[in-house]
Amino acid sequence: MASIAKRALAAAAVASMAATLAACGGGGSGDNSSAGDAAKSGSKGGTLYYYINKPVEHVDPQRVYVGRDISNLNRTVYRGLVSFPADTDPDVANKPVADLATDTGTKNADATQWKFTIKDGVKWQDGKQITCADFKYGASRAFATDVITGGPNYILSYLDVPEGSDGLPSYTGPYKSSAAGKAAFDKAITCSGNTITYNFKKPWPDFPLAVAALHMMDPYRQDKDQGDRSNYQIFSNGPYKLQGAWSKNKGATMVRNDQYDPSTDSTEIRKALPDEIVFDIGKSQETIADQLIADGGNDKFAVTGERVPSAYFARLTGAVADRAVNVQSPFVDYVLPNFKKMTNPKVREALAMAANTKGWIDAGGGSRAYAEAKSIVNPSVTGYQANPAFTAPASGDPAAAKKLLQEAGVTTPYPITFTYPKTDTADKQAAALQATWDKAGFKVSLDPQGDTYYDVIQKPSNGADVIWGGWGADWPSAITVTPPLFDSRPNLTKNSTGQDYGNYKSDTFNKIVDQAQSAADLGDQTKALQAADEQLGKDFAYIPLESQKFNFLRGSKVSGYNNTPASAMYPDLGPISLEK
Amino acid sequence: MSLSESQLEVSPTPDEPKADDQPQSLEGLSPTKLAVRRFRKDRLSMIAFYVVAFVLVAAILAPIFTKIGIIDPISLNQDDKLIDPTLGGLPRGAAGGITWAHPLGIEPGTGRDVLSRLWYGVTFSLSISLAAAIVAIVVGTVLGIIAGFSGGLIDATVGRLIDLTLSFPQTLMLLALSSIFVAAIQQRTGLSTNPANAVYEIGVLGLFGWPAVARLIRGQVLSIREREFIEAAKLLGASPRRLYFKEILPNVWAPLLVSFTLITPQYVSAEAALSYLGVGIKPPTPTLGNILTDGVNYALTDFTYFLFPAIVIAVIVVSLNLFGDGVRDALDPKADR
Repeated sequence: MASIAKRALAAAAVASMAATLAACGGGGSGDNSSAGDAAKSGSKGGTLYYYINKPVEHVDPQRVYVGRDISNLNRTVYRGLVSFPADTDPDVANKPVADLATDTGTKNADATQWKFTIKDGVKWQDGKQITCADFKYGASRAFATDVITGGPNYILSYLDVPEGSDGLPSYTGPYKSSAAGKAAFDKAITCSGNTITYNFKKPWPDFPLAVAALHMMDPYRQDKDQGDRSNYQIFSNGPYKLQGAWSKNKGATMVRNDQYDPSTDSTEIRKALPDEIVFDIGKSQETIADQLIADGGNDKFAVTGERVPSAYFARLTGAVADRAVNVQSPFVDYVLPNFKKMTNPKVREALAMAANTKGWIDAGGGSRAYAEAKSIVNPSVTGYQANPAFTAPASGDPAAAKKLLQEAGVTTPYPITFTYPKTDTADKQAAALQATWDKAGFKVSLDPQGDTYYDVIQKPSNGADVIWGGWGADWPSAITVTPPLFDSRPNLTKNSTGQDYGNYKSDTFNKIVDQAQSAADLGDQTKALQAADEQLGKDFAYIPLESQKFNFLRGSKVSGYNNTPASAMYPDLGPISLEK
Repeated sequence: MSLSESQLEVSPTPDEPKADDQPQSLEGLSPTKLAVRRFRKDRLSMIAFYVVAFVLVAAILAPIFTKIGIIDPISLNQDDKLIDPTLGGLPRGAAGGITWAHPLGIEPGTGRDVLSRLWYGVTFSLSISLAAAIVAIVVGTVLGIIAGFSGGLIDATVGRLIDLTLSFPQTLMLLALSSIFVAAIQQRTGLSTNPANAVYEIGVLGLFGWPAVARLIRGQVLSIREREFIEAAKLLGASPRRLYFKEILPNVWAPLLVSFTLITPQYVSAEAALSYLGVGIKPPTPTLGNILTDGVNYALTDFTYFLFPAIVIAVIVVSLNLFGDGVRDALDPKADR
């Protein structure tokens, strides 16, 4: 693969926003007031409030995979070898800068080996130096796919560890692994003093982008690891640390970490101006919008990654409008047919044919909330093209779909269950889809899910026929979209569907992915990825719904507020500060 | 009008009581006729009665009207002329898009007709409330009669069961266990999501509603069982079954009727509250609770959309309560208000 200049955001939709997520505007910038704020230099002090609706599913660095959480944790507690700077200009924001490493890494000629040197004087919150062994241990955890679930798994297919007969790496993580697997891993990542060397089995020219975009390569202290029980533990090496524990349903308060030395850090990444950051979980999107519109008390010092519900758009006028942003998010929302249940390709085609995406968009708030999508790949991603498989009009074609169902030879009404994360808005959007699907000859049962949506759909036993999903490129290459979502090899395991919630499994597709991943130059890779998306279209492995736009509010005393590509267009905590 | 149907509960024939207005016929009137007479004299109760009757008729007609296309609670009208996509799908025009075609306006985002949805919502909400009230009444009556009549260990056991049920956190149970139980109901019966939700809601509301009924009936039975006609039936060798259902039950009809008319409005509001908390029948099926829940989001931007379901719920609950009060006063004039 050739190097890819830009980056993007970590993905994964936020369960909390139900209807959520959409595509990447890659760098789209806000339409409003926020852009200039970064220039103002903020002052230290104060308590920042970050309102979150639903429980955060993971704060373990090797498991977190929600764009908002990746960014928040990067700016507060988990530094990486390199990180993305907080800048609204995508050209700047997409170039990693050195963080825990002394530089942005050096590679060998074919980009199969990367070396980083760890800075002196970077410490954990207990004062111990961060070592190469910590980085190596962190990387090893991703291999324990039975314990460390939910996180990104690129490392599994790149790191030079041989595959076993089941197609999975022979190394199975630090908790239990064969001696041979362990030996292979020890050869793949080596330490020499402060220098860590990663050996890959295929070229990975944009590896620093991956390191900056995700937390999978973060260091982890072996003596602090309790496997699955570490899911809500944070052992910090950044400017803040947890006060008490992270409570799944309430959140946490972060205070200053006295072992953090700002001289080892860059203010491009994080300024760490507020003294405390309170992550407040549990308020509904409506409550958050109400409070931020009213702008009283602590809400003056609050930001949120929860979208303003469409019912509130008419209230964003006057002074409130100055505290609101409307930016293109890097996500695409889609639905997946479950290949365990909808095995007949004609049935899946009928589902796509009758998908009323215009109805879904209108019910969700219209053009201020969504842009149309024609592929699971966001238009901002290199090599984007509309997927030719989706020929149906935006409001669906139930008549054509009915014909397809007849051709499929199934009895109608064909019963299907559609599962999605519940909100009042999502209920209406689902009803819009349901109406045309029903007209086409399906019989749709809606199955809205609560707080732990992704846990539900990642269970291999999940019985839903149609599953909602949202995704954004980890960095602006389709290599971070279609392969992680549909390559069955790293995704489908005994305990989890990974990110392949629809249990899609195609040797043809996997072969195209292999081509893309070993391609010598960017042009070839892009072509292969376009072919991969076409293959998905042929199989009707997904149906694109829309690309979401973000509408966020903030308190009046928040300055340095920006929605940067580095933070997946969520509020970037790096430069944020509070007025007195 | 099918007024007679609901009036049946109060008096066997609605037309007869007219003759009762003659003062000279006061002598020899049955207690039922006396009650009907008292009820008819109370103007507020009569208004409540007419409202309740109207609502019931409307609820029965909604599915029929939907079938023949007079109302349409499901179809979307996502026409840019009706809703404004730049304002999050708010209806265009005054007062939530009120027009001749949509007399109560349209739903934001989807453009569905609010009148149709409310109308059909009344049907679903009342069906659930009535079904749950019937479950509570049946269970409560059976257990109340058995406890009151048997006394001793059985009475004590039922009494403790009542205490246990009353001390149980009902709302918490409804919320926390809903997904588990609804899934279990679906597996056992093969019902789809919403019927299973309805079964669960009716079951839980009913099974937590019976203790009040059981206590009331037990108290009545305690005094009835000492009366001579029970002694006589016993001496004649009547079976317990005959005693319960032929001798005692006819004598507790009055309090049962009153409980029923007073529990039902409770369940109408409970359905609305539970919808807000995410339990019960799920959208897009309209229930009053579902519509109000969505309406709350629009309280400031599309006030009428919030107002109409709130009014409908208030009217139904208040009139059912007044009707129940009236029935109680009519049946038991000695009771305090």
